[in-house]
Amino acid sequence: MSKVALLLVGSPKAKRSTSEVLGGYVLDELQKNGFKTEKENVHRLLKADNGSEKLIKLVNTCDILIFSSPLYIDSIPAPVVRAMEIIAESKREQNQSNKQLMLAITNCGFPEASHNHLALDIYKHFAKEAGFEWVGGLALGGGGTIGGQPLTKFGRMTKNIIKSLDLTTFALLNGNMIPEEAIKLMEKPMVPNWLYILVGHHGWRTAAKKYGVHQKLNNQPYK
Amino acid sequence: MKVLLLNGAKQNDSTVDLVCATFNNELIMNGHETQIINLRDKKIASCLGCFGCWVKTPGECLTDDDGLEIAKAVVQSDLVINITPITFGGYSYELKKALDRLIPIISPFFTKIEGEVHHKPRYERYPNYISLGILSEMNEEMAVTFRNLVARNAINMHNQLHLSSIMVRNQDNAGIILEIRELLQKVGA
Repeated sequence: MSKVALLLVGSPKAKRSTSEVLGGYVLDELQKNGFKTEKENVHRLLKADNGSEKLIKLVNTCDILIFSSPLYIDSIPAPVVRAMEIIAESKREQNQSNKQLMLAITNCGFPEASHNHLALDIYKHFAKEAGFEWVGGLALGGGGTIGGQPLTKFGRMTKNIIKSLDLTTFALLNGNMIPEEAIKLMEKPMVPNWLYILVGHHGWRTAAKKYGVHQKLNNQPYK
Repeated sequence: MKVLLLNGAKQNDSTVDLVCATFNNELIMNGHETQIINLRDKKIASCLGCFGCWVKTPGECLTDDDGLEIAKAVVQSDLVINITPITFGGYSYELKKALDRLIPIISPFFTKIEGEVHHKPRYERYPNYISLGILSEMNEEMAVTFRNLVARNAINMHNQLHLSSIMVRNQDNAGIILEIRELLQKVGA
């Protein structure tokens, strides 16, 4: 029987989610290596009828659990915290003996990947509490650069990310911790900080102009 | 002083509710104006990550629910007290859903703080913070993560003064009061 890998995407975005692109890459590679794969968006799953039950069932039947989420306020988005609460509570009530690996990937809108480290610590605590074997976490800075587009579209700019995810997949296939090299490659900036900031600021102004509020970007409605 | 208490307890979590009530009593006795928000009773949708609060209606979330009231109350407070069961080293879902909706109160533009990129403040002043986490039993690793999280939040949300504290569930009432008085003294409340 094929082993099962489950990807839980923590981004609320229906389209162009960088979290989905990153986790999806690993999922696709696992599928090429004989895994049966499942993918769910946490936000939509928890809103669905019987979403909690479906979440528990999917998690209980997987061999590898992958969380991929954006960084929200230095941490994990609220619905993902809720999903983890549900999973941990369910695990406390059962005696599951099969080994289940867990990987987490986080990406943030700041250029430095290090902003994600606390979110990965939280995922690690969850893995321990819920009885998963933690294989490690990957942190990506400047997630806005990818903007939910395929990693292969960017040429050399995403070569470190792809190599990191390939190394991660190889480790998962062998039931190993993800190597330090994969962690370091993922954290390498795609573009220099100054360029990221410059493009970011231009992007905010351009988007605001579209809605006619570019002169109001510094509004203080609650003053 | 205007104090906002954000209670991140689930239904029937008597310890977290007791800590919240004790904070409130002490603050009222000290002559402060308080507002308790039991987040579990509020309608707060998840942040959609749409950035509409930055580029469509700058400073205000597009989702019209209790999240708006909370963001406004945070900005207009002198002190915010977060009370939460520590959940995998972080905040409970109930508290986190409210915190995720605070993005509108900072600016989309970047600045550098101690060499690291963060968002600029939107307002000239932000409240001081106390974040009190409650653990079922002491877990040093989770306690470290919680303290670091509170400190990181304070950088990103531009809080001049922030304190984190950890309690375990079996603490007696006298111990809770003592700890709360100490915390309030440190923030001048």
